[in-house]
Amino acid sequence: MSEFDEETKQKVLEKLATKPWSTRDLAKVLQMKKKDVDKICKELIAEGRAAYWSSGSTTYVTTKEKLEEMEEKRR
Amino acid sequence: MSDEEFPLLSELKKGPWPSFVKEIEKTAEHKPEMKDLLKQLERSYEDKITYWKHGGIVSVKGYGGGVIGRYSFLAKECPGVAEFHTMRVNQPAGYFYTTEALRKICDIWEEYGSGLTNMHGSTGDIILLGTTTHNLQPCFNELAKAGFDLGGSGSALRTPNACVGPARCEFACIDTLELCYDLTMSYQDELHRPMWPYKFKFKISGCPNDCVASKARADFSIIGTWKDSIKIDQEEVKKYAEQGVDIKARVVNNCPTKCMEWDEEKKELRIDDSNCVRCMHCINVLPKALRPGDERGAIILMGGKAPILEGPVMSWVVVPFIKVEPPFEEIKELAENVFEFWDENGKFRERLSELIERVGMMRFLEAVGIEPDPRQIKEPRTNPFYFWKEEDLKPRTDPWEIWRKAEKEM
Ligand code: HEM
Ligand code: SF4
Ligand code: SF4
Repeated sequence: MSEFDEETKQKVLEKLATKPWSTRDLAKVLQMKKKDVDKICKELIAEGRAAYWSSGSTTYVTTKEKLEEMEEKRR
Repeated sequence: MSDEEFPLLSELKKGPWPSFVKEIEKTAEHKPEMKDLLKQLERSYEDKITYWKHGGIVSVKGYGGGVIGRYSFLAKECPGVAEFHTMRVNQPAGYFYTTEALRKICDIWEEYGSGLTNMHGSTGDIILLGTTTHNLQPCFNELAKAGFDLGGSGSALRTPNACVGPARCEFACIDTLELCYDLTMSYQDELHRPMWPYKFKFKISGCPNDCVASKARADFSIIGTWKDSIKIDQEEVKKYAEQGVDIKARVVNNCPTKCMEWDEEKKELRIDDSNCVRCMHCINVLPKALRPGDERGAIILMGGKAPILEGPVMSWVVVPFIKVEPPFEEIKELAENVFEFWDENGKFRERLSELIERVGMMRFLEAVGIEPDPRQIKEPRTNPFYFWKEEDLKPRTDPWEIWRKAEKEM
């Protein structure tokens, strides 16, 4: 069971759809606690709605769709 | 492959030592796409530029790390390496394998990857070099079935690593293998789900020889040491001397704190242990005669890192001595305080050392719940820092008052 409601998760998901985010910056922009944003992102990832993306040394989070779009461009 | 086709690479086949070019050639005999790897490499040497694109895909389902994405800029000319991702596989503590386990990894990698490996990478992981995005998940599934897991990458806890310690080394003051395994298992979420400002590394050495170079690259270095005196077997010291070891020149004169004495007549070695800094030099030269003491534990240093551009930063003593016994609660409690403070206060891509530098050691110690201690030295041969708070100071007597008082009494 999630401790977050779908509305809050949607809010995070909408931002994630724009680009890969560090959860730190995302928490600032959404004015939420980083710990909560971390948890929501992990849930969204487990549900297959969000995904990790890496610059090589640093990890970001984005939506599944955005990740696929970016992978396509890499090829 | 003909040497005319790849003249620059063929230079790297000369000489009596092993050559990675020869190994790639051998691999290409049964995996023809590896010829494209040679082709891209030759182009890189010609043009003096890398043709690898970094980043992108990071892992398999549920994981945020363990795969280092690599794509070729020359995908059209070298389609065999268009996607050439690296998989990091968490090594067993001490790098001990059964032949069966090794064979299994190799078979899996023959099937799903290039067949090229690096045993082991500088992170400690088994490095499986070169596979496609499509093969990541099935490869991981097979590895998992064989009992292996991915290691860390990105903004996560990196695969903890340790020296071989008590398994094969008589200098080990702590069970590096047990501690490494325990930390790895305790922090699986931190390892596989990167949410931190940047990378974080634990490295554990059994003694101050620090064979995993934890001091020069780990955010959290755990190094075995001892509290009491070095154990001396004078008979063995004598034997070394008789066999021609110049104890004065090679041991006593090289002691960094000059705390040793050699009695030439009695053939006796004396150590002033209160001034010994546990550098290991004398023990390394006379291993049969000298041994670390019996009261063993570890020293914890923090903030080491080895960035490519700026060069290494040595970690800083934070805990001069700590017991290292399962279940390692004290160490884990400290580590978790550090994770918490860093995650909360660290800026994006800020390692622990930069955070300590920015907020100051005083605030850092306060936050993680450690008392300042004069042994918390940052580097050898410097005074330790000390700090004070306004309220700790006793009100200072005005010197004029003292002098006036003294005058009156005269
Ligand atoms: C009006 C007289 C003096 C003034 C204004 C003065 C000022 C200073 C200042 C500003 C420093 C730098 C402190 C720092 O590193 O933060 C210093 C350091 C030093 N002073 Fe003085 N000083 C005076 C007299 C003396 C005398 C009389 C001695 C010796 C008899 C002395 C010995 C030293 C030494 C050895 C250091 C270097 C300490 C270190 O290595 O950190 N000073 N002084
Ligand atoms: S660090 Fe010390 S205990 Fe570990 S392998 Fe090296 S010499 Fe042995
Ligand atoms: S361990 Fe190092 S400091 Fe200690 S007595 Fe030996 S040489 Fe000297």
